[in-house]
Amino acid sequence: MKVLLVDDEEQFRTAVAKQLSVRGHTVHGAGTGEAGLAMAKAISPDVVLLDMRLPGMNGTATLKEMKRVSPLTEIIMLTGHATVKAAMEAINMGAFDYMTKPMGINELIYKMEDAYKKKRLAKQQIKVATTPVNNR
Amino acid sequence: MMNLIPKTLARLFNKGPKPDPSNAEELRLNFKSRYHHFKLLLNANNRCLEEMAEMEQALKGDKTFGMSFVRTCCTAISVNVLTMINNMEHLSPGKYPDLGPRFDAIRRELDRLLHPKARVQEERLVIPFDKINQEMANVVGGKMAKLGEIKNQLEINVPQGFVITATAYERFIHLNDLQDEIDTITQASGADDLKKLDIISAQIQQKIITASMLDGLETAVNENWNLLEQNVNRPLQLAIRSSALCEDSLDSSFAGQYRSELNVDQENFAQVYKEVVASKYSVQAMTYRLNKGFRDEDIAMCIGCMEMIDAVAGGVIYTRNPVNADDDSVFINSAWGLPKLVVDGSDAFDLLAVSRNQPFTITQRDIGEKTIRYRCSQGDGIEKVPVPEAHRTTPSIDDPTALTLARISLAIEEYYTIPQDIEWALSLEGRLYILQCRPLQQKKRTMPAPDLPGLAPPLLSGGITASPGTATGPVYRAIRDADILWFPENAILLVDQARPRWAPLLNRAAGIISEHGGFAGHLANVAREFSVPAIMNIQGALETLEPGDVITMDADTCSVYKGEQPAILAKEQPPRPSPMKQSTVFKLLEQACDLIVPLNLMDPDATEFRPGACKTFHDITRFIHERSVHAMFNFGTNNNFPEHSSKQLHYHVPLNWWILNLDDGFSATVTGPYVRLNTIASHPMLAFWEGFILVPWDGPPPVDGRGLMSVMFRSTMNPSLVPGVRSKYADKNYFMISRHYCSLNSRLGYHFSTMEALVSGRASEDYINFQFKGGAADYDRRIKRVLFIKEILETYDFTVTVREDTLTARMEGQGTEVLKTRLMILGYLSLHTRQIDMIMSNSRRVRFYREKIGNDIDERIIKPHFNKEEEHHG
Repeated sequence: MKVLLVDDEEQFRTAVAKQLSVRGHTVHGAGTGEAGLAMAKAISPDVVLLDMRLPGMNGTATLKEMKRVSPLTEIIMLTGHATVKAAMEAINMGAFDYMTKPMGINELIYKMEDAYKKKRLAKQQIKVATTPVNNR
Repeated sequence: MMNLIPKTLARLFNKGPKPDPSNAEELRLNFKSRYHHFKLLLNANNRCLEEMAEMEQALKGDKTFGMSFVRTCCTAISVNVLTMINNMEHLSPGKYPDLGPRFDAIRRELDRLLHPKARVQEERLVIPFDKINQEMANVVGGKMAKLGEIKNQLEINVPQGFVITATAYERFIHLNDLQDEIDTITQASGADDLKKLDIISAQIQQKIITASMLDGLETAVNENWNLLEQNVNRPLQLAIRSSALCEDSLDSSFAGQYRSELNVDQENFAQVYKEVVASKYSVQAMTYRLNKGFRDEDIAMCIGCMEMIDAVAGGVIYTRNPVNADDDSVFINSAWGLPKLVVDGSDAFDLLAVSRNQPFTITQRDIGEKTIRYRCSQGDGIEKVPVPEAHRTTPSIDDPTALTLARISLAIEEYYTIPQDIEWALSLEGRLYILQCRPLQQKKRTMPAPDLPGLAPPLLSGGITASPGTATGPVYRAIRDADILWFPENAILLVDQARPRWAPLLNRAAGIISEHGGFAGHLANVAREFSVPAIMNIQGALETLEPGDVITMDADTCSVYKGEQPAILAKEQPPRPSPMKQSTVFKLLEQACDLIVPLNLMDPDATEFRPGACKTFHDITRFIHERSVHAMFNFGTNNNFPEHSSKQLHYHVPLNWWILNLDDGFSATVTGPYVRLNTIASHPMLAFWEGFILVPWDGPPPVDGRGLMSVMFRSTMNPSLVPGVRSKYADKNYFMISRHYCSLNSRLGYHFSTMEALVSGRASEDYINFQFKGGAADYDRRIKRVLFIKEILETYDFTVTVREDTLTARMEGQGTEVLKTRLMILGYLSLHTRQIDMIMSNSRRVRFYREKIGNDIDERIIKPHFNKEEEHHG
């Protein structure tokens, strides 16, 4: 899986990237919402892990913009401080899930796999639905 | 659900036109996508159930938790319920429009609970003592509100000063955007992990100390400071004392948990302010709040700034005996110099008892050997200096001073109508000041044990009862702060000085023994709050008691014995309170649970089984789960899609078992009406089936007369229950399967059962849910049967609940092999407990079947799968 991890804590980025890499995933990192957006456009990630608390453009604004630019992108929001209000906002904006740090690496990977599968299926459905019947 | 599925099934077999092959791929993909949404919905349902179980576990009261636990649970459940609603919308678009509004209404209630309460509007950052009274505790903190009250109402002498308000604190935190950071850091720590707490305490305190000072606060402080100096016409150093909200109540003194800085120069004010604010996050304060269940956001740190009294003597008065409710003497603890020495328990001091009846008389006089005292340093701060040899054993106050102190104390006690704990100082000029007063909790004294024949003499005796009761455990000697990190649960803490820094251990210690200190120190105070037996000032303890040795301490007689002494421990103990259960956080969790956990939607056939009737999140999840299963079943039929319509199981002969393949549950394409067992690729279904056919059923148990009468009676009431009569309720069983998932709805004989299992190898997500109800016998026997099955399932680690004649069992967080054997057990029980309700009133037969079932399970299921005799957890 091609994963984009947007989090301003470099230590967290490094630790997660290392754990995902050894399991065969490619991880790209960004420290701000703006950098995350630029990176998302450049690499078209399979799944985005996006921290709620970011300097400058915050997680919610970044989520909104990412979903606007690429509605099929599946984004898992991460937070150090869970609040019902922020979680509802994120899910209603189309986040795939909202996870509280620290999370187990397996739990995170399962979530990423589920998100990626959802994206793949949605893409296939669009492709089939938009292909003329005699071309299938 | 079970009543609706047969109707669905009937439709499944309606032969209609086959779908247009050009649409088949789209349908197939659509089905795949729906199945993925269904799985996401099941995952979310599972998470909700896990979180609910965790919340209910916490409500048992033996777990210490803070607001971050409550917030995290509520957030996780809200997210997962919303995820279920969203995925349900994918399965049945637009079908349940009332789900969203019901969810929003419950969530708003949760928000209202979790949102910190609004503070009283107060614009002032600083308020002089002259303007303070008891009613202002939520603006200036309980400690300073009380001091203002006794100054202004009782006209008792207190140092002049002012208070920095809760408003100033909140603005300071807000200015630096600290609350979010603090919540983030604290969330990462387990509530009772002292090692982690130590690290996060340092992180948070560092953030506060390096934060920017609030505009306007320094100016306001300087103005008030200058006014105090003008009053006395000389420069003044101040004592900067914490006065946090919620401090100094009867049950929660917070004694010594926050920082106070003495003899502070005006120049250093800003730094000291931040240090005192930061002490809200010291390890001991955070532990204390967690153990007592205070919400972090409810506690604003107000700060009292008062003239520093450089005392010739000082100490603490208890207007009654804290460890003996029958003793009404006034106890005056007094040391040379500043009163700090008495409260931090670092040296000996004097204790005078005064009778409360007029004329006051001194009834007891213990003069300690006072080797050190605290005094104000020339510059900033205070220092410890030796007491001159000649003064060490002379009383630190004279009798008239003691009697005046008793009179002042009793006036305060009379005003507040409850016993008081009062800190006082005698200035170099000979003037008495009250520095602090708070309610004093009294303990009922446990009776000393009668002479116990055969009991070896104590290893140690002497000292002071600081908190009554008896305890046993290994000795743990703590010297440095870091020693608290390795303190073993239920050990006896042995220390040299009774310092408040040991307070974080009170929730874990069986007892406390200190070579120094008295019953008036902060540690003694908190030990009484937690009902931890404590002996202070016991000579030779450090030398006599060996770390690791098990001892028994009797704080009532101030004796310590070798080993565990049941005769001493058998004495009546003061009840050990559960501070959590009375706390704000606990009550909040209870209220949150009320919105989340109760299940009101029980019967899927009832008219009330609808979104609008959902009162809790659990109702919503139950409703969605039920309807999602239907939605999956209906899809193949509604689209007339044979690939996803159900097949009849062929096992030697066609059986009354129908299988719907959700995704990859068959190993090959099945074209005809039957599917053979060797084509089924669903691991959980195969495990269940293996258990089902493992031991042939030897027919219904011989029915006793009462059992038969009961069946006859019920059959006349409900003809569809008569055996042999074909009805839509006759034995039929439906599986929905994929490779890792299976959902079973079954009616065998007179009972219904549903089973759902996900066995994907993702241990944190895999689960088994089993529900069982009904039966032909009378209610009493049906209940006996579910209890019979409950006992069996609990033996094999299921979490089981029984409500009326419905049994629900659940297992999660286990490995594949364990889940597989549990599915086999459910398969086995589904066959072998049918009609067992008929013999439930015959205890001999019940015992026979219990033994047979236990034996079959152990020998035929557990043993072949595990090398050891039984490994419940794989």
